Amino acid sequence: MADIFGIHRNTVRNWIKKGVLPAKPTVGKKYLIDVTDFVRFFVDQGISESLVSEFVNNASTSVSKGAAKLISPSNRYGKGKNKILTTPNQKEMPMAVKQIGSVLIAGGGISGIQAALDLADSGYYVYLIEKNSGIGGAMAKLDKTFPTNDCAM
Amino acid sequence: MVECGRHLNIEIHTLSEITDVAGSEGNYTVTVKQKPRYVDMDKCIACGSCAEKCPKKVDDAFNMGLGKRKAAYILYGQTVPLKYAIDESRCLFLQKGKCRACEKFCPTGAINFEDRETIKTIKAGALILSPGYTPFDPGQYDYTGYKRIPDVVTAMEYERMLSASGPSMGHLVRPSDNQEPMSVAWLQCVGSRSINRHDRSYCSSVCCMYAVKQCLVTADHLPPQASQTVFYMDIRSHGKDFDRYYEDAVEKGVRFIRERPHTIDPSPEGCGVSITWMDKDGGKRTEHFDLVVLSVGMEPSPDAEQLSKVARIGLNEWGFAKTDPFAPSQSTRPGICIGGSFSGPMAIPRAVTQASTAACKVAMELASAKGTLAREKTYPEERDVEDGEVRIGVFVCSCGINIAGVVDVNAVADYAKTLSGVVFVENNLFTCSTDTQVIIGDKVKELNLNRVVVAACTPRTHEPLFQETLKGSGLNGYLLEMANIRNQNSWVHKHSPEMATQKAKDQVRMAVAKVAKAVPLHSRSVPVTQKALVIGGGLSGMSAALGFAHMGYDTVLIEKSAQLGGNACFLDKTANGLTVRPALEQMIVDVENHERIAVMRQATLTEAKGSVGNFTGTIQTGKKTTTQVDFGVAVVATGGLETKPSEYMYGNDPAVFTHLEFDAFAAQKTNAVRKAECVAFIQCVGSRTKERPYCSRVCCGHTVKKAIELKEMDPDKQVYVLYRDIRTYGFNETWYHKARQLGVVFMQYDPAHKPEVSREGAKIVVLAKDHILQQRVAIYADYLVLAAAIEATGTSDLSKLFKFGVNEDGFVNEAHPKLRPVDMTVEGLFVAGLCHYPKPLDESIAQARAAVSRASVLLAKTEMKLNPITSYVTESCDGCALCVDVCPYNAISLVEFQGKAGLLKRIETDTALCKGCGVCSATCPKGGVQVHGFTMDQLMAQVNAVIKAS
Repeated sequence: MADIFGIHRNTVRNWIKKGVLPAKPTVGKKYLIDVTDFVRFFVDQGISESLVSEFVNNASTSVSKGAAKLISPSNRYGKGKNKILTTPNQKEMPMAVKQIGSVLIAGGGISGIQAALDLADSGYYVYLIEKNSGIGGAMAKLDKTFPTNDCAM
Repeated sequence: MVECGRHLNIEIHTLSEITDVAGSEGNYTVTVKQKPRYVDMDKCIACGSCAEKCPKKVDDAFNMGLGKRKAAYILYGQTVPLKYAIDESRCLFLQKGKCRACEKFCPTGAINFEDRETIKTIKAGALILSPGYTPFDPGQYDYTGYKRIPDVVTAMEYERMLSASGPSMGHLVRPSDNQEPMSVAWLQCVGSRSINRHDRSYCSSVCCMYAVKQCLVTADHLPPQASQTVFYMDIRSHGKDFDRYYEDAVEKGVRFIRERPHTIDPSPEGCGVSITWMDKDGGKRTEHFDLVVLSVGMEPSPDAEQLSKVARIGLNEWGFAKTDPFAPSQSTRPGICIGGSFSGPMAIPRAVTQASTAACKVAMELASAKGTLAREKTYPEERDVEDGEVRIGVFVCSCGINIAGVVDVNAVADYAKTLSGVVFVENNLFTCSTDTQVIIGDKVKELNLNRVVVAACTPRTHEPLFQETLKGSGLNGYLLEMANIRNQNSWVHKHSPEMATQKAKDQVRMAVAKVAKAVPLHSRSVPVTQKALVIGGGLSGMSAALGFAHMGYDTVLIEKSAQLGGNACFLDKTANGLTVRPALEQMIVDVENHERIAVMRQATLTEAKGSVGNFTGTIQTGKKTTTQVDFGVAVVATGGLETKPSEYMYGNDPAVFTHLEFDAFAAQKTNAVRKAECVAFIQCVGSRTKERPYCSRVCCGHTVKKAIELKEMDPDKQVYVLYRDIRTYGFNETWYHKARQLGVVFMQYDPAHKPEVSREGAKIVVLAKDHILQQRVAIYADYLVLAAAIEATGTSDLSKLFKFGVNEDGFVNEAHPKLRPVDMTVEGLFVAGLCHYPKPLDESIAQARAAVSRASVLLAKTEMKLNPITSYVTESCDGCALCVDVCPYNAISLVEFQGKAGLLKRIETDTALCKGCGVCSATCPKGGVQVHGFTMDQLMAQVNAVIKAS
């Protein structure tokens, strides 16, 4: 939310703390904001309605009833807190741009190869970028590996 | 690796680097700069003529500069892609404008000196950065003797010296005089755990084990009287089965000396090295070694810094990528993940796990775009060949001069024409080249060929290619036979070309005889239940369940107890000081609220049937209620438990605790702990013993963390740690360093002389020998904390249900300790967390995510193709069951059925479990079980074809 409107997430937190933006706190430091309150607030703030409605539409696809929604001040995923709760079969971020089904992997060592195979086998197109003229990395240089003393190849 | 090169959905860009990353999570635009290769990848057939003719010799970086290669080169024999490249900085033509020898001699015209640098932009939803590490360069520090003394080498150089593909072809000789070294010494912690001359305060985690491995491999290379010595600080064999390996080395006579040599000089004898150190008693010792290996540590890759700037991600104080313990692999920029040793020094299994962790993170984030860009190959409809006349096409490969230089390929081709069933023969310069594939396809269609023989190289690498070609031209891929006239012929019979030609004819005749009997084989497909079962509701189990759920797969999470969270409920802080509780609670809420996760508490799995893709389990909740669940894959995360010690007065004295107990006590009775004057820790209580010959991995870190906490509470508090080896691997080493700075006293004890514990009034007395004072000291402690061993829980019952492997210590076995660290021995099962091996929180989460990534590969398919090369039962089977015992995959079972003569027995094979190894077929005395593609009929035809000639 903060990202979309180009403001800091603390600003959103402050609005909520001051009661300017009515919201109910939930477990895990998320906030429940009513859609009508939400739209009214932003129109009051002079933020273009189209931007708000786009955000609301995007968000409401991930909210089961559309009546109330859970919104956090920050949309940074992976922090463990402050993330937007969505209905389970949706992605974490309701306002995500159209996602691209390909992944770029930099480094063709054993890790890069493993990640590439995992993703390519589960429905993604992978670009594997390697600095050298062939893949294999450091492991290819090893003679044998313990504990089985298998050949590294 | 080869799989990677052939994958339809992987595009490899070699000689490339990222120059810019624009856009945001879900939609990045990456600019990639590709250096010229000067070799056309489509035309190059890797014959090696260019390298052979190239006059310019350069140091071979792959062999750590120990050997030479040419300016036209491949990195190593098995490189992917197997295409030569020209080293721009060394090529005579590109540097001085003269030569072009490679261009002249290239048989396919692949050399292209017009090649220029290209800039590409690539659209990607997410990035994974795995630039790897670089070995520490000891050359900049004189005290190691490296570069100054010829017989001092780094471990990476030594690795190449041992390798059969290395500069001395696997014959171990020392650099100074090419003699076999009779005494080899390893110096540990070169460029690790040191802030004296350089800033490498962390432990590189891998050097102890690679040194031990090199010791054992060296013993195989040298005569028995040769000696191996390791100078070390602490042996850190903290991985699964590592301690056994180390103990094995001790038993085999490798000498381990816990000292750091202070002087490394050239030996007065001219060759070799003289090492001087202080021994335990304070005496000076000097010894001569023929060869010294520096166990160099791991540093961030030289590209790491540049890459971090380009990708705008954060690095930690050591120059590795910054990650979050609760979301390992996540960089500081959303949508960019970290794979492998970019996030810290780690051994191969963890690097592989970390790669899958990153893949899982990406798949979780890009779930909505799954399948939008991935391609699937389609083939024309297969022709029916069952009853028609056999029409065989034979393609004889010259392989440049590889085969044609020895074998008279024209004679072989002419001979092939005379064989029955053969209607077309052709000799190709390279049968594997792209243009030949077109020719093969055209000939199959034009002449209505229905069997193909390729006389070339090994099916191991090339069979899939020709099978593709056949499929593309409407033939079943199994109507192909390869005769390996290169590896098994021209390469080994270089000096007798006539006999080699004769042998090639025999090989072709055998292949023709076999292929005539070949029938089309079809992969059976089984539907995949796109649902996951997670066994265990600890941190690992919950991470796995959330992973599946975010990818869009329904998940059942079963937990034995009434509460989610497992051991993490008792943990206070992570290694880098983050509080566990809030993140854990958040995770429990997420799991409970997720629509796709069904949580079952107080539940145990009591029955399991089926195989990969199609399991059915019975789950018991409460006393009588049972539920049936279908699932395609399962993650085993049953966790582990801190054991209750049986020594050091544990249980008899209220002031003796285990780690977790003391944590809980300290949280409750803050004041009492604050007032305590002295706290003692004893390490390895129950670990690294006869009963549990493994290291519990997390205790050293736990102790050091707690010791710091106590010291920070009150600097006057005395804190003692009695240890065998301090194993604060990786960045935890800095905590060990900090603890010593704060005045925590570390005393090393020998397992033969364990500390003695008794009570004297208000204090516990710990008697131990101090390794520096060389005297027995008494510690009067208020509390004694024991680093109790960790055991796996619930693995033995489950292993019976699923028949998966468990090691001697009760930990779940992985399919391959290095390359498949989260896959289990039973397909479709994956392992995560403590039940695999003791590990800290971040590694558990990483492993759980990795397990999800591996499992999602199976779940991504709606149906699974099984390898058609499997065993099948014939009418001749009389149920003697000899094959049941020999089958290594438990794929054969004995069943009873109602026949005409009453109740009969017969075997049944499970095609999902069968790997087509053929052991059953070889065992069966009656031809009652055979293997598709290798039937008795086919094999006999081949054998008869050989005999016919002689």
